[in-house]
Amino acid sequence: MLSVKEVSVVFGTKVALDRVSLQLGQAEILALLGPSGSGKSTLLRAIAGLEEITTGTISFEGRDLAGLPTHVRGFGLMFQTYALFPHLTVAGNVAFGLRMANLAPAAITSRVDEVLQWVGLSELADRRIERLSGGEMQRVALARTLAPNPRLVMLDEPVGALDRRLRERLVEEMADSLREAKLGVIYVTHDHDEARVVADRVALMNEGRIIQTGTYQAIVEQPADAWVADFVGSS
Amino acid sequence: MAGRVVRYLRIATLWGAPLLFIGYLFVYPLTRILAESLTGEGFAQLVDRERFRNAAWFTIWQALVSTVLTLIASLPLTWALSRFNFRGKQLVRALVTIPFVLPTVVVGASFHDLLPQGVLAILAAHVFYNVAVVVRTVGGVWGRIDPRVEDAAATLGASPGRVFRTVTLPLLRPALASAAAIVFLFCFASFGTVLILGGGRIRTIEVEIYQQAVSFLNLPVAGALAVLQLIFVVAALLVANRLQRRIGFDLAAEVSLPPPGPRHRLSVGATVFATLGLLAVPLVSLVGRSIERRGWAGLTGNAASALSPVQAIGNSLLYAAIATVIATGVGLAAARIIERRGGGWLDTAFMLPLGVSAVTVGFGFLLALDQPIDLRGSFILVPLAHALVATPFVVRAALPLLRSIKPELREAARVLGASPSQVWKEIDFPIIARALAVGAGLAAVVSLGEFGATSFVARPASITVPTLIFRLLGRPGTASYGTAMALAVILAAMTALLVLLIDRLRGSEAGTF
Repeated sequence: MLSVKEVSVVFGTKVALDRVSLQLGQAEILALLGPSGSGKSTLLRAIAGLEEITTGTISFEGRDLAGLPTHVRGFGLMFQTYALFPHLTVAGNVAFGLRMANLAPAAITSRVDEVLQWVGLSELADRRIERLSGGEMQRVALARTLAPNPRLVMLDEPVGALDRRLRERLVEEMADSLREAKLGVIYVTHDHDEARVVADRVALMNEGRIIQTGTYQAIVEQPADAWVADFVGSS
Repeated sequence: MAGRVVRYLRIATLWGAPLLFIGYLFVYPLTRILAESLTGEGFAQLVDRERFRNAAWFTIWQALVSTVLTLIASLPLTWALSRFNFRGKQLVRALVTIPFVLPTVVVGASFHDLLPQGVLAILAAHVFYNVAVVVRTVGGVWGRIDPRVEDAAATLGASPGRVFRTVTLPLLRPALASAAAIVFLFCFASFGTVLILGGGRIRTIEVEIYQQAVSFLNLPVAGALAVLQLIFVVAALLVANRLQRRIGFDLAAEVSLPPPGPRHRLSVGATVFATLGLLAVPLVSLVGRSIERRGWAGLTGNAASALSPVQAIGNSLLYAAIATVIATGVGLAAARIIERRGGGWLDTAFMLPLGVSAVTVGFGFLLALDQPIDLRGSFILVPLAHALVATPFVVRAALPLLRSIKPELREAARVLGASPSQVWKEIDFPIIARALAVGAGLAAVVSLGEFGATSFVARPASITVPTLIFRLLGRPGTASYGTAMALAVILAAMTALLVLLIDRLRGSEAGTF
């Protein structure tokens, strides 16, 4: 479905992504696991079209995405900081992508209701963003990302800003929801447990490169090199 | 292909409109002024005329004396407002601000006949106008000094006087210096007030520029004076900027203040009533004189003559509308450019019309805007001048909010399918809309009261309320005097109403984001 081939992103003299290649299958959940600064977010941004790639190709369903601006790619990206729109309500945030797709108002309303019910926020539909708790914001961000039925979902540390207990509960919930939705998902995290619980397959990243890909189990059992052994062993 | 053309066109207007505006209406006239002063040997004429030395000297000393008097007059009220909590405090603060937002011509008219024309009237008007600057600037700091710090000094054995000298004053010094610099700058560049209350004999550099250009048609000297004024003002601005940056103490965000105790109740009450009373005298007397001299009847009376009050009010409203639209559009485009390019010289370029006196703006228009088409006879010069002076207010209002929008917000919108223009429409615009409305309101206030530039470019048919008040004050006879007073009352009311509206917009903004 998604194919990333030999992609590099260079900022000035800093190589953020170094010839990264990656495949994502239909309805597959892939965790991008690595320490902070390893290039995970940059890869998501490159796929979303927010970052210009220096070399390589990114294609989706056989079509090269080069030159295709972000807003027509139809991918969902959930930001680590959520990036909720402060001037809109909960429902307004969730409806945003649907409005951009020029859906009829009635269709927008029913889809917003549906998604809010799904994340358990129906009661808060008209609430302003600044009056939400951290966990509620997280769910609004997820609902907003999934509402327009994106062709590919990218989640950048989706529970990274929450405290531990909340995190564990939400990760389980989210893993179930994502499987149920049968979407292609790239899930960025620096947390091994999250990667293990959520993903079908894990891609390990370090210093702008993908070091090893496989199921979490396979990586733990057969680490590709000393760094991987150390990284997965430390959990 | 067509999409690309549209994109280039959009970029061209975004960049072109503000740059053309500032280039043609500001930079180009300034260079013409400089050229005029150099080719006509304006500077040589300046040096050996006592008249100009006197004007320069008067400009400096009256600004110094005005500043000292303003500080003395405002500090008691600043103390009362920043050290105690009492009922009606917000109202007192709002009332003190009124003189500051009044057009200079209204201030001039208020003191006209209240005091004999001359230096005393000018100084009194300057103090009246600037009390709010000190109350707001110094009060902002003083109100956030924790009273317990002073109490601590007292427990260590300092008498009240010593507490003030050793603790309070050092903490206030940067704010005091900054307020003094601002007041000095305003008084230094005072034009309308001095022109009206000085009776033509007492002149600041600003007034001298006006007289040289309009009465004596000595353009080289007027140009040289404008350059001189510009150098003074820029120097003063730099000093003020320096002083402002040093308000770096760790101040409490919020301090709970006590109500005045029995020892202070009398002095707080007396201070508040005395200051407000003194500030009210000119305004009450203005209204009184407008009735006493039958000014209200005169408003519609001589509608047929060239100086019709009704027409002036119509002109003022029309020009304020045009200037507000232009200033808002250009200011918004400028703010977008500055936000994307990180400011630098562009930021400065759009702030400069604030530093350069309005008189210089008007003079520059007269000198330069005969090319490529001669605009000097057209009414459009008036709203264009107003828009130029008002644009910095719009930029200042919109820029901080535009800068506060995190890049991720726009990226999130793009990922959700918003095109660049939709991102602007759906994210940036709604977030800055209220601040933009505040900027537009300020632009309207500036336009309604603008006198310096208008006095150069307004023709009899395009006369505005402030310029008409000035003309009427210069005419003999009670009738025109009364009309001037009535017009000043109307102008004051319009301004106060707008400021009230802006304040409400601003107030609710704090709670939103």
